[in-house]
Amino acid sequence: MSGTGLRSHLDRLRERGDLVAIDDRVHWDEEAAAIAAIAAREGASALAFEHTPGRVRFVAGAFGGPDQLAARDREPWDRIGDALTAGEDPATVPPSHEYGDLLELLAGERTESAESVDGEPAATPDPTLDLHALGLPTLSANTRPVVSLGVLAVDLGPESGTTWVPVRGGVRGSSRLRLVVPRAFRERLTAAAEEDGNKVDGSEESGAKSGGREPGTPTDPPAVSLLLGVSAPVLVAALQGWIGDRVRTDVPELAAGIAPTATARVDGRLVPRDAEVRIDGRLRMAAPGGGELTVTGSTPDPASTTTTTDGRRAAWEAACETATVVLDVDRIATREDPIVAVSPLGAPLSDDTQLVSLVEAARLYRRVNGYWGVSPVRWVRLPPEGGLGMCLVASEILYAGFEWQLANTLFSFSRLFDKVLIVDESSDPTDLAKALDDMWVKAHPANDWAFSEPHAPSATATRYRRDGETGSRLHIAATWDPRWDEEYIAPRVTFEQSFPENVRQSVAERWDEFDLGRE
Amino acid sequence: MTIDSLREYLTVLEAHDDLSRIDESVSWNLEASAITMLANERDARIPLFERTEAARLVGDPYRGSGSRPWNRIALGLDLPRDLSRYEFYEAVIDRLQNPIPPTSVDAADAPVKERTVTGADVDLLRFPWPYIHAGDGGRYSNLHTLVAPDPDSEWVDWSYHRAMVHDGETASVLLLAGEQTPNLYYYKYERRGEPMPVAIVVGAEPAVEYTSVMWIPTDRSEAEFAGGLKGEPVELVECETTDLRVPANAELVIEGEILPDARRDEGPFGDYFGYMHGPRRSMPVLEVSAITHRENPIIPFCVEGSGVGYAENSTSSMEAGCVGPDATLGLRTAGFDVECCVPWTSTPRTVYVIATDRSEPGYLHELANFIFTTWGMLHVDFFVFVDADVEPTDSRAVVEALALHADPDADFHQFGVETMPKVPLNIYQTPSEKGDIQTGTSKAKTAKTYIDATRSEPAPDRPPELERRARETLRAAGVDVNVEDALLGDRPPRDEPTGGWRR
Repeated sequence: MSGTGLRSHLDRLRERGDLVAIDDRVHWDEEAAAIAAIAAREGASALAFEHTPGRVRFVAGAFGGPDQLAARDREPWDRIGDALTAGEDPATVPPSHEYGDLLELLAGERTESAESVDGEPAATPDPTLDLHALGLPTLSANTRPVVSLGVLAVDLGPESGTTWVPVRGGVRGSSRLRLVVPRAFRERLTAAAEEDGNKVDGSEESGAKSGGREPGTPTDPPAVSLLLGVSAPVLVAALQGWIGDRVRTDVPELAAGIAPTATARVDGRLVPRDAEVRIDGRLRMAAPGGGELTVTGSTPDPASTTTTTDGRRAAWEAACETATVVLDVDRIATREDPIVAVSPLGAPLSDDTQLVSLVEAARLYRRVNGYWGVSPVRWVRLPPEGGLGMCLVASEILYAGFEWQLANTLFSFSRLFDKVLIVDESSDPTDLAKALDDMWVKAHPANDWAFSEPHAPSATATRYRRDGETGSRLHIAATWDPRWDEEYIAPRVTFEQSFPENVRQSVAERWDEFDLGRE
Repeated sequence: MTIDSLREYLTVLEAHDDLSRIDESVSWNLEASAITMLANERDARIPLFERTEAARLVGDPYRGSGSRPWNRIALGLDLPRDLSRYEFYEAVIDRLQNPIPPTSVDAADAPVKERTVTGADVDLLRFPWPYIHAGDGGRYSNLHTLVAPDPDSEWVDWSYHRAMVHDGETASVLLLAGEQTPNLYYYKYERRGEPMPVAIVVGAEPAVEYTSVMWIPTDRSEAEFAGGLKGEPVELVECETTDLRVPANAELVIEGEILPDARRDEGPFGDYFGYMHGPRRSMPVLEVSAITHRENPIIPFCVEGSGVGYAENSTSSMEAGCVGPDATLGLRTAGFDVECCVPWTSTPRTVYVIATDRSEPGYLHELANFIFTTWGMLHVDFFVFVDADVEPTDSRAVVEALALHADPDADFHQFGVETMPKVPLNIYQTPSEKGDIQTGTSKAKTAKTYIDATRSEPAPDRPPELERRARETLRAAGVDVNVEDALLGDRPPRDEPTGGWRR
């Protein structure tokens, strides 16, 4: 299974020339994040920081990609596509990825057994390590080192087994992390404990084993592993399980359904075997001293995040309600010369945004095509370029007014965005520039820009109405009106449509002779 | 070195390895445009077709690169082609504020008079006007300067209106009321029952071509602004059959009159929207009285409609490189505090992005209103306002602003519904809405919108020193990032517009 781990993914990127080594010494304190943010914004290759002061090396942009508003050699989703389709034979990874294929892959939500345990975890405990020694990056000055791309492995009991949960968090001392998790996860943990007749308050003192405890007494904080430097299928499956309007806990099985994912067991819970860093510990549901921890909606509460990430959150936090928990660290295990994928949270085109973009698009694609008995939608995109605040959908327009129905169905399935652009089914998902062009030239500025009544819930990825105040939503129908006669439909000017076949063929055959170059 | 002619400009392109001479025989009938469209899509060199019939063709000579659409416009002005958007705009704005009057030359010294044909010998069809898209209504001259005088003053307008060739002596000209030259025709000449004398200057020197797509104020000499752009006077020569003066270094000039109360078919045509505009309409008729030209003239043309999405063509690049700086200067001169005004990079003409520090609702309304009632009246449907620290040519940043900062509840402002004039080229109108009325505008009206995509809170700031250090680290690793122009804060304060520019 050499093809599925982060290291194999980085090897492939390196072979493609899509991974640049930063050989200069770079400090983890704000400098690495600044470099990663600029690289993401400029559509640069992934970056491997080879010399940082801590134990781990970083890689930024491993799941990122360039913006799609200019002609590029690679698509924004190609690195994720590489990582998801690696399989057992890296040589079979295609040079580029059809967006539709990735949508189908993820929308399928196929599962495979994750129980085929593949030996010992690759990371081995190092008692000399503490969280500071790892040298995780900070996002800006005077903030704490951050965990940006990782999952939490938790055993939910004999029935549900292990689940993997997306996390974002910050280091709080040498052996404590404060983590943001999906609120549904925290509730699930609480409910699981209560089913066992115990109460989870996670008081600071809890440390003993739970055996022989009276029902109703506080249970032990659950033992968990925080995994860093994991593969894309693991990250994607955790998002599939926990964001959106339906929770699934069978995340290891979802990951195995995407691509072969080596697993191992640690204290009974499944972990991705190839994880570069594993932080084992216990999860507390309450703050030290027993105070309430923050539970927020998908609109961020600056008070809960400022000290860790300067107000910046991971993209998935806009897609579900969140809660904060504390991880008290018992031990840290690493692979030799560990390398960890990081994301410059809050920066344009960051890895976490790219991952959520694809996962959420696949979820919506599945939902809207499973809703009306027919499947009119060709593709859905939440362009990372738009920070997930806008959704593009290419669809057959089944009947007059279907545009309204489609847009509002999308609004009801996702709270991330409040703008939907509908384009014709023949629109190319690889040409975002042309899709946006249609928004300006094909949609009538009055008739096809439709605003809802002003009491719609606010979107969660956008930067206005953060107090939850209601407002309008907008959908733009850049499609041909199905009531129009064929003669009204303007053909697009393209090489294929504007020239007869004999001219196209002649030009293609003679192109090299013209010496016009530069493709 | 100033660029005095189209052929000198093409030589400069060749010196920059930006032009390929195609010596094989290529037909004007779709083949030249097919090659050009492919070159546009592939960001390839500019094709100069040396062997067509009786003349040469050059396809989209002003098309810039996808990442820097103004780079060949800059070469035409003898500016470095690697200027940043900011440097280029400020350089052009500076030149526009220093107009230079033209000079006159005798016909004997005018290259465009090397061959002169008048009267019965005139034959438009001697030249290889390209048939550009399958489905076009005819063969077009569509990259030229239309010279037309105001009958009541000394003012002469230079503008950019395509002409569809009908036969050896006539063509129909796309004149849409609302623009300067069409207004002269419809509301002065035609009302008086008089023909409008015109000259179509084909293959003018770059500064002239650029000026003709700009909105130069009424009553001001376009030739002076062309001289300002060029940095030297433009040389003009008298026409053979009219009193007009035309650039002496042009490749070819068609002299004639646009007749009153006469119409001929025009279109369909693959238009700048990226779609075939139709149906066929009636447009005013040009009757040709003379053709003068250089030996072996070069006829430039634009594969219209190929400049949307990722590809550039002459129209889209001139929007970015000519109309943008001109509009920026115009707004500043009108008293608006704008960093710049640029076309949306993948959509020529319909939508512009304006970067400004000002975001008060009344201010943005006034700004949009000013443009919608002047140069943006017919073709511009949308304005997107972004903060002054957002680079408007960075589509990624503008899309982000639009998606994350423009609230559908408060930031989308429609100027009425179905109340504003519209060109009939828009594809969102049905044929009956477009109509076919005397002045070329649509029967139906439309709406125009401005979008406030400015932030409600300041952007988180990265310390400039950290930003610079980070970029230097990336460059040391071989990553292509700009260091010098990374920070808007590096830019010097702007001077107030000076010179003779007044709208």
